[in-house]
Formats: sequence, structure tokens, C-alpha cells
Amino acid sequence: MAIKHGSALALLAGFALSIGSASAENVKIGVVQGLSGPPAITDFGESYLQGIKLAVKDYEAKGGKHKIELVVYDDEANPQKAVSLVQRLMQNDNVPVIIGTVSSGNVLAFAPIMQKAGVPLVAGPSIATNITAQFIKESPSYIFRCSMVEKFQIESMLDWGTKTFKKIGLVHSTTGYAVFAAKEIQEGLKARNVQLVAVESAAPNVSDLTPQLLKMKEAGAELVLNFHESFELIYRPMAKLDYRPIIAGNWGLSSLKVLQIVGQKEIEGTVMGQALDMALDSSKAFVSRMEKEYGKAFRWPVIAALGYDAGQVVLKAADTAKTLDPKGMRDALEAVDGIQAISATPAKPFGPQDHECLDREHVFLGVWKDGQVVRLKY
Amino acid sequence: MSAANFVQLLLSGLAMGAIYALTATGLFIAHLATTRLNFGQGDFLMFAAYLSMALLLAGVPVALVMAVVIVVLALMGWGLERFAIRPLDRMRALVGGQYSWILTTMGVALIVQNVVTLVWGKSSQYSPPLFSANRQNVVQVFGAGVFVEELLVIVVALVAILLFYALLFRTRQGRAIYAVAFSPETAALLGVNVRRTVVLVFVLASVLAALSGVLVGPIVTVHPFMGLVFTVKAFAVASLGGFANPLGILIGAILFGVVESFSNYINSAFGDLYPLLLVLALLVIKPSGLFGEAKTDVR
Repeated sequence: MAIKHGSALALLAGFALSIGSASAENVKIGVVQGLSGPPAITDFGESYLQGIKLAVKDYEAKGGKHKIELVVYDDEANPQKAVSLVQRLMQNDNVPVIIGTVSSGNVLAFAPIMQKAGVPLVAGPSIATNITAQFIKESPSYIFRCSMVEKFQIESMLDWGTKTFKKIGLVHSTTGYAVFAAKEIQEGLKARNVQLVAVESAAPNVSDLTPQLLKMKEAGAELVLNFHESFELIYRPMAKLDYRPIIAGNWGLSSLKVLQIVGQKEIEGTVMGQALDMALDSSKAFVSRMEKEYGKAFRWPVIAALGYDAGQVVLKAADTAKTLDPKGMRDALEAVDGIQAISATPAKPFGPQDHECLDREHVFLGVWKDGQVVRLKY
Repeated sequence: MSAANFVQLLLSGLAMGAIYALTATGLFIAHLATTRLNFGQGDFLMFAAYLSMALLLAGVPVALVMAVVIVVLALMGWGLERFAIRPLDRMRALVGGQYSWILTTMGVALIVQNVVTLVWGKSSQYSPPLFSANRQNVVQVFGAGVFVEELLVIVVALVAILLFYALLFRTRQGRAIYAVAFSPETAALLGVNVRRTVVLVFVLASVLAALSGVLVGPIVTVHPFMGLVFTVKAFAVASLGGFANPLGILIGAILFGVVESFSNYINSAFGDLYPLLLVLALLVIKPSGLFGEAKTDVR
């Protein structure tokens, strides 16, 4: 009898689970990333993908509920290609959710299509401010993000920069992303009643920033905001110009690749937006796991951490979704809770009016110190 | 602008101009003898920069690095002519056949890019200095700081081009190149080995790419897609010389590099545009290129 009772209880529990979430299935997760093209794009795309793959590996190692299949495509940082790949993922591969991509312009090109089609997107590592903001009023919005948010890192940087320095200059590239970032910086400074002493730009494929840095030197800039995608270029002319301002900029400046190219001594003191506190044991453990997993191909802790967290969020949503269709995944994503994130992403990242993993309070400033990015105290 | 800053920009421009001169001379010599050129000249330069970087990082002495890179690139030049250009000669009579080499040389450039990506990865890299212990080796010239490597680029590029011109105008082999350029059939009747001469020009063009690659590596960031920019700029510079006048190419390259440097200082948002506009304007005024009439095209 006792056995019969036990079986009945188990059946009931199973029934309860089956009406609470979908039963075990093969789940396809679409991933679009910039995996070829400009080096900076590739570094972002590969690092984020490494994080996603590790999250899937961990999920399977823990005996995850579903069998996960990642369908990965390379958009080559090309907006047209990104749009056609997203359409392919939705129509041919029938994925219930897509993660991607590096270029904000690409995301802004396909996000309206996904919103209209009702397929959820977890954007990343793109950082343009308006990616989720422009859809949040829709009911419901299908656009989420697990990445840095440009406005948050710029606000943190300007808070610190205007308190610490009198003369601030800006060097940015002429890409859509950087021009938009420059506009946000200028608006942020205007709100703080501060004016840039010099603003210089350069094409994304230039090989020398001597003229631009010379202008910064002439203007006496003590802090130079660097929003050029070739993060290392700004450092090169410093020795010959005998001019060493503090450099601050995009979270890309935390890449180990930039450290390797620029050199530890030269990069010391550089400040950037951050969302991974390397002082935490969890961050150190993650980095050592990534190093073990990917060897020299691992080069960007914070991007990989956000990729890992995006993977965790999507997998948790798959586990808790009532149905494994796009609508079910969207609802589950919004309700995901209990994430043990590596980055500063909170346990419950999203809500009906918040589709960002990282909010303003989670973004802080990092600084290169003794070959490591640590939290900047100011 | 202070005098020191003027010199600073001038020297930066001269260094890049010297690289453009080497690359454009490679385009010029191939075009002179065969009316074809290597659209992957910049990618050959990129490959040379990577090879040089790898050897330098492995601790190989600079002289040996230079020799190895030159030999490897010379072989690549031979291979390019042998497998991507010569087989197309048979198609010359077909419609559009005479332009097939554009596709094949670009195809080779793509292969080179992909090989580099496979071997060295997609990220940017920094090539170690050739003659300095660290990346901060600066000398003062008229109050302006210049990297030793930048000065070296200017000196070596100028010497290489002068040697190249000496070869072209003062040696029997150089005259053979000009004879082939004038008429391959006549040159053959005069006892010039036309096929060997054609191979030689592609080898020479690749050797110039080798030199540029070794020199440019330490002064720029090296990445697998850097070649196209150099090809485009060298093409613009070679057009300034009318693809026929080496002196025009040398002066055009220096002018291009210096204008690029100053225009980035004056208006950085469109800094790369002005040198190209200058080339356009000069070609409108003088379609035959700089000094076009002073030294006429032998063809």
C-alpha cells in the first residue's frame, strides 16, 4: 500500500511539473555572433560565444532537463547578413529564442523583425543604449539583453571623470556606434556643465592616431575618452609625443588582447565600464575555468561572463517555460529567477518593465592595475 | 601649430608615405611589364608582417627574418604568376578573359587572409620592434619625438626604391623588363626571355611587399584584414604616377602620406578623405599622372 501511495504521489508530482513547465525535449537555441571581420568584432563575438558554450556544457553536466542544440551563425558584422540569418533561424531552424550579436547596428536591424514575429531575442554583447528601451512599451516586448549598456558605462565614467579631471578630451571612430556614443558623452557632459577640450575622430581602419593625440596634447586633456574600436591605437603615439593622459572608455579596454598588444606598463591606470568584479572568488574561478577550457583563445573575462550569464538565463527559461514555443520562452525569460550570475547580473534579471541583465547600479568602473582589471575606487 | 608638431606630423606622414611608395612600386612594376597587377599586394604585405612578427617573437635575428620573409614572399610571387595569372593567358581572346586576373589575384588575397586567420587567429597583434629593446625607443628630430622604427621605415624604403630604380634603369635585366613592357614579341625576337622576365616582375613586386611588411609591422597594429587599405592607397598612389612613372609614384606616395597626416590633424573626421580627393583632383588636372610628360610611358 505504501508503495502505491508513493507511486501516486510521484504521479501527482509529475503531473504538477508537467502543467508547470514543458517536459524534456530537444531545444534549439539560435546564436548569431560576429565571428569574422574586424578583429575587435571577432574578439567580442568569440568571447561571448565561449561563455554561452560553457553555460550549455555546465547545464548538461548537471543533468539539465532538455537536450540543448546551439545553432550558431556568423553575421560577419554585416547587417544584411545578420537579418537574413535571423530569418533563417526563425523560419528554417524554428528556434524559440535567439542570442546575439556584437554590432549594435545589426541588432537594431533585426530586433524589430523579431519583435514583429514574436520570437524572443537576448541581445549581446551589443551595447547601444536603445536596444531594449525602444521595445519595452510594447505589450509584450520580445527584446531582452545580457550585456553592457552604453549609457550606464558612460554615466559612470562621466561621474568619475568630471569629479577627478578638469580637462577632458574625446577620440572616437566614425562608425555608427562610436558617433552615437560620442553624442551620449557630449549630452552627459552638457548636463554636468562640462565641455570637452577637444573632440577628434578617425576612420575605423586607420593605423595611426598621432594627429588626433597631438590635438589632445595641445588642448591639455588630462583624461582622454577613447571610443575607437581599435582600442590599442591611442597608446602607440604616447611615447613619441611624451604625453600620457589617463585613458578611459568602452568596456572593450578590459580585453586581455589589448593588454597584450599595449603592454602592462602602458595600460596601467586605464579605466573602463565593467560588470565583472575580479576581486570576487566566483570571477577568479570562472576565469580559471575558461582558461582551462579555451586556453589562449580565451581573452575577455567580462564578455565571456556576460555570454555565460545569457546562456544561463536562456537555459533556465527553457527549464521553466510552460511551452517551448517562442511565446512560452518569452514569458519564461521575463520570469527567470535564481540565476547565480558570474557577472553583476542579478538573480532575477528581468521584469515586465526591465529587459536588461545589467541595470545602472550593476555597472561600475574597472581600472587596469598590475595586469588585472580591478574595481576603481573613487 | 608649433614647429615641433609640424615636424612630428611630417615625419609620421613620411613613414606611412614610404610604405605606400614600396607597395605602389610593386603594383607599378607588375603592371609595367604585364599590364596586370596583384590586387592582393596589400595582403602579401600583411602576410609578410605576420611572418616577420612570428619569427621575431621566436627570437630569430632581424637579418635572418628579413631574408626568410623575402624568400617566402618571392616564392609567393612566383606562385601567383604561375598559378593565378599565367593559366589565364589562354583565355585572353574570350570576352572579358583579359580581366580574369583581377578575380584570381583577389582570390589569392582571400586565401592569404584565411591562411593567416587560421594560423595566427582573427585578433589584432603587435609586432615587436626590429632594432629596439622595447616599444618606447624614441629619438628627437628637430624637437619632435620619432620612433626609431619610423625613421628606419623612411630610410630603408627610400634606399630600397633607389636600388630598385637602379635595377630597372641601369641593368640588363631592367632593360629587359622595359623591353617586355614595350612589346613582348619584339623583346623575344631580341633574345629576351619573356616568360622569365614576367615571373621576375611578380617576384620583385612580392619582394617589395615583403620589405613593406617587415617594416610596417612594428609601427601599426597587425591584423588579417589590414591589406586592403594598403592596396587601395597604393593603387591611388600608383595612379598618381600614371602607373608608368616611378618618380611620380615616389613623390605621389610621400605626398599622400604627408597630406594624410596633416588632414587628420586639421579635420580628423574626414582625415582619410582628403588625400583621396587630392588624388582625384590631380588626376583630373593631369590624367597621365605626376610628371607624366617628363618621362613618357615606354608603351
